[in-house]
Amino acid sequence: MISRRTWIVAGGFFALGTLAVILSAYSGASSSQRFSPVQPVRFPHPVHVQTLGMNCLYCHSAASQSPDPGLPAVGTCMGCHTIIGPDRPAMEGREAFRSAEIEKLQKYASGNLPIPWVRIHKLPEYVRFPHMRHVTAGVSCQTCHGDVQNMQQVYQANSLNMGWCVSCHVGQSNPPFRARYDCANCHY
Amino acid sequence: MTRSIPGVPPAGETAQRRALPVLPSASGDPGALDRRDFVKTLGVAAAGTALLGCSQEQVEKLIPYLASPDGMVPGVSTYYATTCRECAASCGVIAETRDGRAIKLEGNPDHPLNRGALCARGQAALQGLYNPDRYRGPMIRRGDRLEPISWDEALRAFAERVAETRRGGQAGGAVFLNQHESGAFPAFLDDWLAGLGMPPHLSYDGQADFASIAANRQSFQVSWPRYDFRAARLVISFGADFLDAWGPSVTYQLDWADARTDFARAPKLVYVGPRRSLTGLNADEWIDCRPGSELAIARMLMGDFTPAQAAVVSGVDAARLERLRAALEAASPSLVLGGGSMDVALMANAINNARGNVGATVLTAEPVTAYDGMNSPADVRTAVDRMRAGSVSLLMVRNVNPVHTLGRSGAVAEAMGRVPFKVSFSSIMDETSELCDLILPDDHSLEQWGVAQPLRGTLSLQQPVMNRVFDTRPTADVLMAVGRTDSALASRYAAPSFREWLLPRLPGGANGIAAALPNGLIAGNVEPRGATRLAPLPRLAPPIEGTQGDLYLVLYNHPLLGVGRGANKPWLQELPDPVTKILWQTVAELHPDTARRLGVKNGQMVRVQTEAGSVNLPVCTYPGMHRETVAIAVGRGLVRSGRYASAGVNALELLLPFEDRSGAPAYVATKAQVAAAPGYQQLVTTEGSARQHGRGIGRAMLLADIGRDVEHHDGPVHHKLPGDGDHSHLPGLRAPIAADAQGDLVHPEDIERGMYDPKHWSGMAKRRWAMTVDLARCTGCSACVTACYAENNIPTVGAVWQGAKLFPDKTGFGANILRSREMAWIRLERYFEGGEDGGPDFDTRFVPMMCQHCGNAPCEPVCPVYATYHAPDGLNIQVYNRCVGTRYCSNNCPYKVRYFNWFGYGEPARAQYAFPEPLNWQLNPDVTVRAKGVMEKCTFCVQRIREAENRAQAEGREIIPDEFTVACAQACPSRAITFGDAADDRWAINRLVHDERAYHVFEELNTYTAVVYLRKVLHQEPSHSPQRRLVPGSAADTGGGAH
Amino acid sequence: MASVARPVPAKDVEIRQRPNIASADVQLPAVRDYEQVDREITGTLSPTGAWYLGLAVAVFFLLTGIAAWLYQIQQGLGVAGYNPPVMWGVYIITFVFWVGIGHAGTLISAILYLFRAGFRTTIYRCAEAMTVFAVMTAGLFPILHLGRPWKFFWLVPYPNWRWIWPQFKSPLVWDVFAILTYLTVSTTFLYVGLVPDIAVLRDRETNPIRKRIYALLSLGWRNTDREWRHFARMYLFLAAFSTPLVLSVHSVVSFDFAMSLVPGWHTTIFPPYFVAGAIFSGIGMVFTIIIPLRKWFRLEHYVTLNHLDAAAKLALFTSLVVGSAYMTEWFMAWYSALQVEQDFFWNRIFGQWWWASAILYFCNMIAPLTLFSQRMRRNVTWLFILSILINIGMWFERFVIVVPSLSHEFNPWQWTSYAPSWVDYAILAGSFGWFSMWFLLFIKQFPVIAIAEVKEIVAPRLRTEHEHGIDVAGLHVDYERETPGEKE
Repeated sequence: MISRRTWIVAGGFFALGTLAVILSAYSGASSSQRFSPVQPVRFPHPVHVQTLGMNCLYCHSAASQSPDPGLPAVGTCMGCHTIIGPDRPAMEGREAFRSAEIEKLQKYASGNLPIPWVRIHKLPEYVRFPHMRHVTAGVSCQTCHGDVQNMQQVYQANSLNMGWCVSCHVGQSNPPFRARYDCANCHY
Repeated sequence: MTRSIPGVPPAGETAQRRALPVLPSASGDPGALDRRDFVKTLGVAAAGTALLGCSQEQVEKLIPYLASPDGMVPGVSTYYATTCRECAASCGVIAETRDGRAIKLEGNPDHPLNRGALCARGQAALQGLYNPDRYRGPMIRRGDRLEPISWDEALRAFAERVAETRRGGQAGGAVFLNQHESGAFPAFLDDWLAGLGMPPHLSYDGQADFASIAANRQSFQVSWPRYDFRAARLVISFGADFLDAWGPSVTYQLDWADARTDFARAPKLVYVGPRRSLTGLNADEWIDCRPGSELAIARMLMGDFTPAQAAVVSGVDAARLERLRAALEAASPSLVLGGGSMDVALMANAINNARGNVGATVLTAEPVTAYDGMNSPADVRTAVDRMRAGSVSLLMVRNVNPVHTLGRSGAVAEAMGRVPFKVSFSSIMDETSELCDLILPDDHSLEQWGVAQPLRGTLSLQQPVMNRVFDTRPTADVLMAVGRTDSALASRYAAPSFREWLLPRLPGGANGIAAALPNGLIAGNVEPRGATRLAPLPRLAPPIEGTQGDLYLVLYNHPLLGVGRGANKPWLQELPDPVTKILWQTVAELHPDTARRLGVKNGQMVRVQTEAGSVNLPVCTYPGMHRETVAIAVGRGLVRSGRYASAGVNALELLLPFEDRSGAPAYVATKAQVAAAPGYQQLVTTEGSARQHGRGIGRAMLLADIGRDVEHHDGPVHHKLPGDGDHSHLPGLRAPIAADAQGDLVHPEDIERGMYDPKHWSGMAKRRWAMTVDLARCTGCSACVTACYAENNIPTVGAVWQGAKLFPDKTGFGANILRSREMAWIRLERYFEGGEDGGPDFDTRFVPMMCQHCGNAPCEPVCPVYATYHAPDGLNIQVYNRCVGTRYCSNNCPYKVRYFNWFGYGEPARAQYAFPEPLNWQLNPDVTVRAKGVMEKCTFCVQRIREAENRAQAEGREIIPDEFTVACAQACPSRAITFGDAADDRWAINRLVHDERAYHVFEELNTYTAVVYLRKVLHQEPSHSPQRRLVPGSAADTGGGAH
Repeated sequence: MASVARPVPAKDVEIRQRPNIASADVQLPAVRDYEQVDREITGTLSPTGAWYLGLAVAVFFLLTGIAAWLYQIQQGLGVAGYNPPVMWGVYIITFVFWVGIGHAGTLISAILYLFRAGFRTTIYRCAEAMTVFAVMTAGLFPILHLGRPWKFFWLVPYPNWRWIWPQFKSPLVWDVFAILTYLTVSTTFLYVGLVPDIAVLRDRETNPIRKRIYALLSLGWRNTDREWRHFARMYLFLAAFSTPLVLSVHSVVSFDFAMSLVPGWHTTIFPPYFVAGAIFSGIGMVFTIIIPLRKWFRLEHYVTLNHLDAAAKLALFTSLVVGSAYMTEWFMAWYSALQVEQDFFWNRIFGQWWWASAILYFCNMIAPLTLFSQRMRRNVTWLFILSILINIGMWFERFVIVVPSLSHEFNPWQWTSYAPSWVDYAILAGSFGWFSMWFLLFIKQFPVIAIAEVKEIVAPRLRTEHEHGIDVAGLHVDYERETPGEKE
């Protein structure tokens, strides 16, 4: 004879299983949020953005005119770093030191080699994200990429999954933006 | 992309096109290689795992530029004007390059020849550039195989050989066969040869109709006059297929379409010939004469013969001929064109003279110079004879393939065996270069500098549009390098490369060129090459009547593949022949009655035999054949020209070693034994039924009815139902959804409008994209199809290895096509009207059929996952990544324009991969490469719409009317297709949708299509046998029924 | 002493029903007592060599099918015989085929139960098991025919991070609900009916493990009046509940076609037409299964000729319904005066697809007419042959609906043909393997004839044995294993 308890337990397990499935589907478990690889050159965004007050578009210039943000060419880096060598003088109460990263950079440049950056923010190929439209519409880089200016090592701040995009397009973001939201806007 | 409707220069286009930035040479420059990797990661990433979501896990590298090339923004296209070298005509093209790779070719709107249009062959130049069977680098013969060597060794070997030849005093015995091209290079080449004491080169082109050229040279002292179709009132063509492959046909397509749609004075076209070619199908009347008897009819028109006499020779009813002569008498000015045979062409010219057409419709003062300096094929033949005699010391060939084009009877291969040293400059492998001892691969025409002379007084510039794909070098540079090794010539070739040699010699000099490059054109002429040698006496064929055989044999160059130049380009192989709709296959075309007489049906084999040889071919019945004739297309079945070229059978096996009076190989010279043979090969065709069965798909009206408000009875009757929207021709606008959005339903408030409301904050419904197709302009040339393939990354599926792996259909090339799995988003449906009795008086309707973007689409509500739905701006959207592949949408589509990915055509790891490296470099990064198991279809080039919107927004403006157009409309040589915003009257399309000829296909289904067709205009009714139910397989149904 | 017993008729003990109507109460004269019922019916549970052989064959076919499917998933749907625009083929045909089979079970067990049709008693268990397994089989095909089967769950409405839902207008989504509902209900119905019988098995079982399992499944059935009362109510309720499903489910399936505008699909007759066809095919399958069973397990005195006779009448009736549906289609094609429709029907019947139509019309319209004769209805061999014909015919009915319509639609340029590939056939065979495997496993675990309900129609036994074997009814019964009059 089976006790009533057995039935409740069995049923309970079934219910929990179902719930788990639904939640995992809902949570967007497939996104690569917080992905933060070690880059060949540990480029410190905080120094360039905050200390030196450089604009994102200085290096990522294409972001305002092309669907692709593009990456700064090694030449662009060397534009400054031919002068700013690896030997950093003492400043702002920090003693002089030798920057291994700038050394690496110069090694790449002198060797005529590009820097093999590891890609972090990657949308599937069937999604079109025209950067310039967002930039020219006044969406700040941080809205999607997070506070890169504070990231010692860049990581993916947002899930970048579809619900996350749509929430902004239909005006549920803060600050509120609104944009057309039919599928063919991004999928074609 | 070049969003131009010709005449309407799009905003900021010239600003976009810019001269070539200095590109580093491919050899050993990391910059170039990096750019390539860069493109691999960013540009063509889409070519990889297309839709199978989890591509985020794999770690990807981003490789930036070393130094960003100036004026090139990653992800934004750059446009270069250059010249198309796919045929001798040399049209102007704009190459769109993205991140350093050419991804699309479009016509140059400023070019006088093609005026923005581009034929299928021209667009397929990209597949020549990225062809996987191109030579990777220089090679030399060691033993019986070719082995790669370095350029230095190769050049040394070549230089030594040249020097040796000269030391031996055999320089006079050298032969240089060059693919004919106009412009500066031929003169340069002759000059180089002369410097080495070698005879001038032979400029050879198997595709061009040399008979006409020779005739023109004799009659008018020009190779090719200009023809003015607009002025003509009557056009008679004796086998001149001017809409498809005869001369600069792209030019004629537009001229012809304009002439025909000027209804007040539209010329009538009569086609005389044993086989109804594409031009024949566009003709109002077809005179189906015996092969070889065109001359008699032409002379009848001259008055040498009476119609009765001509009738005896040609087998055509004398009354018809009489009518023809009367028509010619009545029409002034008229235009008579002759092709295929020098005598006929001469006679045609003579008629033009006699009728006073010269100066009116035949303009010899402003000739097409593209064919100047072309040698007679007989010259090549005599050179081969000399090789056979062993008197040729050194043979150099560049991009010509005489081993194939002169046929087996030409016996070129054996002759080449007697030549001690053979050098090939061909950039892609073919039968001839595979026999050579040294391969110095030439750059593709899109990779090198040059200049062409299409018309007198006009130069078309040719510039590299991207870095070299492989380790190749321009032949001119190679010649100069060799020249420099010779003390006598060194001074002459001081310039480091052909570019530096060429530019100063052009009018305006180097600076002038820099200014001219954006448009790719300069006024002026280059010095033509010295007078070409006179052709030797041709080996004339005996009169065809005397030859043995049951049926006249008519060979013709395949309009798309030429004599075989296009055979290794999958786009061209998969593009159905405009006339027979056959692809990937060689067939024997017979008149249905003839086939019945032989007791064979479509697909059953026949053995065709001449004295030269015999081939077994499947029968393809085609009502446009003379009853005593069998026709076979030349251009397939090449054995050593690459992986795709071996499809089909080489019809040149049947070619007899005879020549036309002009020296061109005689394609119509003999009868052939034709007998049923064992075996069956299902026809590889896209044709289901060749009859409309009264469905009113391709409709027409009489010229006389234009302007008169007549009732049309040529389609299913549409019964207006209560609650129907207004059926006036506003495409899609009156769909329940769309009309609702437009707010013109009876009770708009009844229905939730949502984002379909034009006043919706998103503004998504502001525009309503639509298209018109003018059947009076469409000639059926199918250039739009290739344009669509190029623009939308459509896979070709016909190759042998693209079928099932385990227990595949044993059908060779076209296995997938036999199950009608071709993927062409736009297809040319070709319907025959009338002539059910098998007579010659039938009319042909070419109907470009693509997704109709119905306002009330049957496909939308049946998709269980919303993968297809109606976008507010009127597009019927297919979301690939949402599609699970139930295929219900296709079942429910009355137009059958949805295509399913049966295999992983877009996945490099698979045997079915449609873009083997480096063909995948051409893929359009703006368009997703579809994965296996998803549905796809025409998107109205949504990526172009979005790009225009992006550009407009970035520049803070609205889209300018007709600022851009879709790929098929852009390419269409006859401007039959127009695309635009039907909700904004300023767009050109709005004039057309209200045209009296406008109609929707299957309007009775209430699909409210966004595509409006304009009726074809007939000069006379086709002969109809009384209307009867046509069931498949009945005699009247000429359909291949291959599926 | 003079016996009150009537002399036993030499031949044909089983009295033919007069009047010969299906609903009349069917006697089991050869079944004497409960003890016999338990013994004989549970006797079928012991596996035989033939059974193992059958199971092996079934599993072999199943594995073939699975292999073919894996190959198809790896390569793409191209390996199947699809020939656009024929975008649906063997898989959808087989899907509808199995769903149809699934219907007879519920009809027999539920509807006939409500109608008190006595002849259902001995065959309904079989039919019901068949239903469950048929639906299980059918349910595979919608997934199997997808281009990307691993995404099938997108048809299920669940909250997700994409913020999108299925298209509720699409019949394919309705299918998901219809099939799942039907599977759930018919399974429940089968199980509930089983409970008392499982109790019997539990009591007779000696193997402790099996006994434990039976005990668990029998829900502690103790055969009390209270339990019987609840059981009867529950059973009646479920019967009433599943009756409308019989009609609704296949109507929904028919919407897959009727909702489109494809000529030959776009017709309002489909729902009744499909339901009738489904029941027809189901009865056919019942015959195919029950006739061998009663032979092998020697149950002829349970599933008597009268049962078969009655069921055959049902088959005849549904065949007539289906036949008239076909004729209505022809009439409408002519009457609609739609040229497209007429072309299509012409091509379906006399053109390209004449052979398929011929098979269909012979098997479903002509052959069943023989059932008008009672001799044929009582001829077991013929019934079996006929049932096979019906199965074939009904598969081809779906073929004729799916393929010719798609191959000959509005646009003549896209008129094509269709030929299945080896993958299609392998998966079709696999589906039969899958079905048979479950059924074979079932008949060795549970009684194929409802013990409890049979007992209802068997006269209860006297407390004490009579020497002359004379029972209370005063009817002397010579106990024979096999029913006389059925020696052939």
